[in-house]
Amino acid sequence: MKRTAMTWNISFPNQDMGTQTDKLLGIQIAFSSDVKTTLITLLLSVGLVATAQTQTTATLSPADKQTADAFEKRVKDYAKLRESVEEQMPKLSKDAKPEEIETHKKQFQERVRAARAGAKHGEIFTPDAQALIRRIIKDEFKGRERTEFRDTVLKEAETKAVPLKVNYPYPEAGELLEMPATLLLRLPQLPKQVRYRFVGHNFLLVDRENGLIVDYMTNALP
Amino acid sequence: MRCRRKLLEVHLMKRAFVSFILAIVFTFSTAYGQSVKLTLPNKDNSVRFLVIGDTGTGSEQQQELANIMLRYRQVFPFEFVLMMGDNLYGSEKAVDYKKKFENVYKPLLDQKIKFYASLGNHDESNERFYEFFNMEGQEYYHFKKGDVSFYALNSNYMDKKQVDWLNDKLATDTAPWKIAFFHHPPYSSGSAHGSDTKLREIIEPIFLKYGVNVVFTGHEHFYERIKPQKGIYYFISGASGKLREGNVKQGSPLTAKAFDRDMSFMLLEINGDQMYFQVVSRTNETVDSGVVVHHEPPKSTKSTK
Repeated sequence: MKRTAMTWNISFPNQDMGTQTDKLLGIQIAFSSDVKTTLITLLLSVGLVATAQTQTTATLSPADKQTADAFEKRVKDYAKLRESVEEQMPKLSKDAKPEEIETHKKQFQERVRAARAGAKHGEIFTPDAQALIRRIIKDEFKGRERTEFRDTVLKEAETKAVPLKVNYPYPEAGELLEMPATLLLRLPQLPKQVRYRFVGHNFLLVDRENGLIVDYMTNALP
Repeated sequence: MRCRRKLLEVHLMKRAFVSFILAIVFTFSTAYGQSVKLTLPNKDNSVRFLVIGDTGTGSEQQQELANIMLRYRQVFPFEFVLMMGDNLYGSEKAVDYKKKFENVYKPLLDQKIKFYASLGNHDESNERFYEFFNMEGQEYYHFKKGDVSFYALNSNYMDKKQVDWLNDKLATDTAPWKIAFFHHPPYSSGSAHGSDTKLREIIEPIFLKYGVNVVFTGHEHFYERIKPQKGIYYFISGASGKLREGNVKQGSPLTAKAFDRDMSFMLLEINGDQMYFQVVSRTNETVDSGVVVHHEPPKSTKSTK
């Protein structure tokens, strides 16, 4: 393969150099003499970009859209409440000391717990929202992926100490298991203050700053 | 007679003193200078940095590796350190920030070395406010050093907001070097975790579209240099505080070079169209080195910070 002005290569002492196709970038193609390889690589690149764009625009039926919108509104209402609480607290700076971070989190937890003293399980994850979310999760993981994901969540994740209680803190030492990126793009969108989390068979909403469990649903794992 | 004896005593004391000083100088130079074998060119105006990952244990081994970093700092004046996440394992009280980070890297912090952190699955979001992680209150952020554009991503939660931000930011980025770093590896030969294909499905097309050149990750507690994938160079450096010994799958088609026998960190130097790298173990052994060449000439090679 002839290299051009836009190509990249790598050299290592006594190392395998990888395949020629590995060294291609989409942008090189126009300059390459190998037309066949060029077209394949171009199509692959376009396909990958198109796949990513499709993932971000998952289509829902009108009924599901209504359910998702209502769920998103309930989460936003929580976000508004906790924002109003945080606004009354000293702001955490972008170059805070560890003591300031610890104190802020503790106080924030206490105040939001007090503000949501009557919060109940299922207020945000209503039955229709649970059904929709279960369906999306189930659809996302199939075959081997499903088995692997179950193994990750049930066997490997260090989340055994997480309490299944609304308005209780997610333990600091508990692992914050990675949320699969493709799933996140399909689920109802959350405000930045709230996160989805898998814990065992359960699916939680957790506040990213005060660490409180906002709500949870059971039997979420496919 | 007494005078001659006195002179002899003084002479012997002088010799003993000189020997003592020489011994100290020899010991110091062996421990902190000569034993360091730099394979990087160490040129003027280079962007010099370290890559460390999965550090936050506060263990003796983490400290030993930090001591090796300090030795290299004396011959290779790196300006900053990229952290691949899992910066604080377990609890995240104030005392943990000190035990698992500040105390370990104090000599580097004292020398004003900046640490740029990304978040792993053991990191709370609140770490983004920590003064020494330089995250500016953001879970994902961008900064530039000379001709190099760095993107710290939160692979633990790659939601639509972050994907949109990354697309927007890269669309206007004209830097010749675009480097992304985050916790979960899109390609990996690890037996425990392996490639994060769900993450790869979302971010790889964006990297390809906008010409991201190099990706650094952690999560796997070993070092691995992946064979170039669609023109992108992936490195895993997740053994700077924890080790998963013997975890790299033997004969993996992804592996260009791997090291899973001890803890390690990476030294990087970017100058013009070349990125040199050297990987050093806890026993001060160089376990990998090489250079990535970018054939499009950068517009300048000045270091901005």
